[in-house]
Amino acid sequence: MQPSSRKKPISFYTLAAFFGLFILFLYGPMLSIFILSFQGTHGNMTFPLRAVSTHWFGDLFTSTRYGDLGGAFRRSMAMALAALAVTAVVCFFAGLAFRKRFWGAGPIFYLSIVSLVIPGLLLSFGIGQMFQLAGLRLHWMISGLGAHLSWTLPFGLLIMFAVLNRFDGSWEEAARDAGATPSQVLRFVTLPILFPGLIAVALFGFTLSYDEFPRSQLTLGTRNTLPLEVANMTSSVTTPALYAIGTITTVISLAVIALAFAAIAAVQRRRGKSARPPSHS
Amino acid sequence: MPRASLTPYLQVAPLALIMVLFVAVPLAVLVTLSFWLSDGISLTPAFSFDNYKLVLSSAITWKLLFATLKFAAITWFFTLLIGFTCSYFLVFHVRNLKLQIALFLLCTIPFWTSNVIRMISWVPFLGKEGLFNQMLQSLGMIDQPLEFLLFSDFAVILTYVHLFTLFMMVPIFNSMAKINPSVIEAAVDAGASHFMVLKDIIIPLTRTGIALGSIFVVTLVMGDFFVIRVMSGGQSANIASAMKNNIDQLYYPDAAAMAVFLIIAVLLPIVAILRIVDVRAELAR
Amino acid sequence: MSAKGEIRIEKVNKAFDATLAVKDVDLVIEAGSYCCMLGPSGCGKTTFLRMIAGHETPTSGRILIGGADVTNIPTGSRGTALMFQNYALFPHLSVQENVAFSLKVAGLGTAERRERAMAMLQRVQLAHLADRVPAQLSGGQQQRVALARALVTNPQVLLLDEPLSALDEFLRLRMRSELKRLQKDLGITFVHVTHTQPEAIALADQVVIMDQGIVEQSGGPRDVYDNPHSPYVARFMGGQNLIFGTVEGSSKSGAAVVDGAGNRFTLSSSDLLKGQKVAFAIRRDGAKLADKPGNAENAIRGEISNIEYQGTFVKVALKTAQKDEFIVYLADGEYFARPRAVGDTICAVWPSTGNHFLAGENNSSGDPSGH
Repeated sequence: MQPSSRKKPISFYTLAAFFGLFILFLYGPMLSIFILSFQGTHGNMTFPLRAVSTHWFGDLFTSTRYGDLGGAFRRSMAMALAALAVTAVVCFFAGLAFRKRFWGAGPIFYLSIVSLVIPGLLLSFGIGQMFQLAGLRLHWMISGLGAHLSWTLPFGLLIMFAVLNRFDGSWEEAARDAGATPSQVLRFVTLPILFPGLIAVALFGFTLSYDEFPRSQLTLGTRNTLPLEVANMTSSVTTPALYAIGTITTVISLAVIALAFAAIAAVQRRRGKSARPPSHS
Repeated sequence: MPRASLTPYLQVAPLALIMVLFVAVPLAVLVTLSFWLSDGISLTPAFSFDNYKLVLSSAITWKLLFATLKFAAITWFFTLLIGFTCSYFLVFHVRNLKLQIALFLLCTIPFWTSNVIRMISWVPFLGKEGLFNQMLQSLGMIDQPLEFLLFSDFAVILTYVHLFTLFMMVPIFNSMAKINPSVIEAAVDAGASHFMVLKDIIIPLTRTGIALGSIFVVTLVMGDFFVIRVMSGGQSANIASAMKNNIDQLYYPDAAAMAVFLIIAVLLPIVAILRIVDVRAELAR
Repeated sequence: MSAKGEIRIEKVNKAFDATLAVKDVDLVIEAGSYCCMLGPSGCGKTTFLRMIAGHETPTSGRILIGGADVTNIPTGSRGTALMFQNYALFPHLSVQENVAFSLKVAGLGTAERRERAMAMLQRVQLAHLADRVPAQLSGGQQQRVALARALVTNPQVLLLDEPLSALDEFLRLRMRSELKRLQKDLGITFVHVTHTQPEAIALADQVVIMDQGIVEQSGGPRDVYDNPHSPYVARFMGGQNLIFGTVEGSSKSGAAVVDGAGNRFTLSSSDLLKGQKVAFAIRRDGAKLADKPGNAENAIRGEISNIEYQGTFVKVALKTAQKDEFIVYLADGEYFARPRAVGDTICAVWPSTGNHFLAGENNSSGDPSGH
């Protein structure tokens, strides 16, 4: 689909340049702190690089100036993995449920949308107060995870909707026609076919929780997650160690993303799919 | 078969439970709390409008609201411009579908990294001794480093645009990709100029994506309390950041009233956008 | 004693919310026969098929297969196999795994499953594609996989939901003869739903025509084609002209019928009353063209509205006082001996032996799209 041949190539190049600038705008700053994290021992937080070293990475692990980074990292990972698992399972079944009409479908859906749209700080304030008023202590894996799920579940649900839209119910019918029980239909047909979508839901569950900031406020109790620790560091830390932790956590995120994309691509390849579905459907 | 009709309820129960527990109830708690009283130490359940009177009568509140709306509007404008243009480029000028999707994914990857890190990453770039100033000085374009680049409203908006353009771009890309190419071909065949195709076909067919993206961007900016404080060097504030201050100082009912105020302030643009564009059909797709 | 594969439908109704999709149907399909369900979109034939398959449950009535009451038995256990219109091949499984699926859910071991699946694929000549995935197959190949998948369960009845609709013309004709051959080889009952009349009469031992949930007529293809029950069946089967008129006079040997424009016809039915409104059918290849009615037993006057050459015959369409066009099929030699022109006023004439009285009242248009 392109405009007609009367099109001046100039508009293409202008737009391409604009797009290129946008990519630069998106990735440039991250690249610069990536570079700066290798700042020399006596360098400061701005360019130029006085020397290239991994000093500041080491400083993160050895120095006591940076609070409980190790613990924060472990907690972030644990929460992200929990969020991945819970989001994938809950959204998978919820998505299946929404294929039928049931009482309460509308309100639950709108509640999920409200959760997406409401400022995270407000929600975390409400969750924190809810626990305190109920006399319960805040704990990062309970109140904190719940707050994270309020963000990941709606995303997961919307992805399931998109995936289920292209899912043909006649596959399940064909399975039943062949004699499969409902459990067999789920295990042998529904779940395998929807698996790439589930990977996407799991990816959202992990990364959205791992990076979650506003909803982590006021809901974690006494222990911090990594984004909160880093946020505290922005005011207190004046060394490139700040960039080093930024680099580390970004690399982890990118690794997870790459894993998910690779998994989806592998499944699609196995099914002989090209980018466009065959025209007979 | 009666057993079959129970299944959806069982399947949706976990989602419903978590959503009610962690969204519906907390919101109800907030609203309730906004009517309570505090003496700075303990809370007294009540049904009082004192907190609201305090919030609504204070001039600062309205200044903060103005600031909140100002940032939201400016950010919305720039994210729309950039998001629309880049989507337009990808959908209508990139011929290879695989390349289109690859470039699109390239734009979305930063979404999966930490916002806090992405915000910080502007500091070495924009500061007085930052990369940008050094570049301009070495090119001879300026003598003194530009001070407004960092710790200013400019920096705040720049960061907002950096963080949130993606939220505008994804729904717009989605809407644009669904446009039937034959519709555009037919228009061009009938003699429409590219500008007319844009104005009369592409923009109207993309309006759902624009609406969804706008809702996301506006709510994210209006709800932010962190970027505005850090990137303005503490000079600017909005309702959310003021609310955070209240919370830090344990003025809970005050904060709750501000929270309700903010919710209403956020809902109004959303309702306005939804009046113009019916988004429900799109969400179901 | 019911034979294996015989289908008995007793007073079956199916309602969806307020609409009745299938109304009070009684039908017997003989074991080992090829039955085609024919009708326009929305007539209920697919719902009917799905009830036999067990994917829909009748609101009332009974369905018996091979003598056993299967009305409330779930699909998959009633000896039927359904071939879906869009094939519904599992995209994540290879061709061989698709075919072996029913064996897997029944608990057979891997080796035995593969063996039986390959044997079935041999039968449909697709063994060489056993390890491909459905996305890599053409439409015709996908259909054969769907067929193999359905047949591997050794069903008593094979149900086909518009199996040839998605194929192009050439492939459709080829697959048609393959289906016929397959049914003869296997000896099981085939129930084939279609809206294409030539397909039905080519394949079927028994044609069942439906309209709006009711079975209009059921019988052998020649019977339904030559002796349609109602104007709707006549229109749907094609190849017939319909005449509506009033009885002018009746006697032991027959009735004289006249239409609004004074055209006269003779029916051989002896039990009609004077003044009765009647309808009858005459085959399109049963009439000839003449400039004047002369002393023909039946004649209708009209203006030629269309002439179409169709190879072995020529279609001449006349606009007459009747609602439907009167169409005459002339052998090409006969037509070109005395060609006509559009706009000519002409008569169509024929003997009374070809007239078939239509007892049924259904006067629907017979448009396959359901309008």
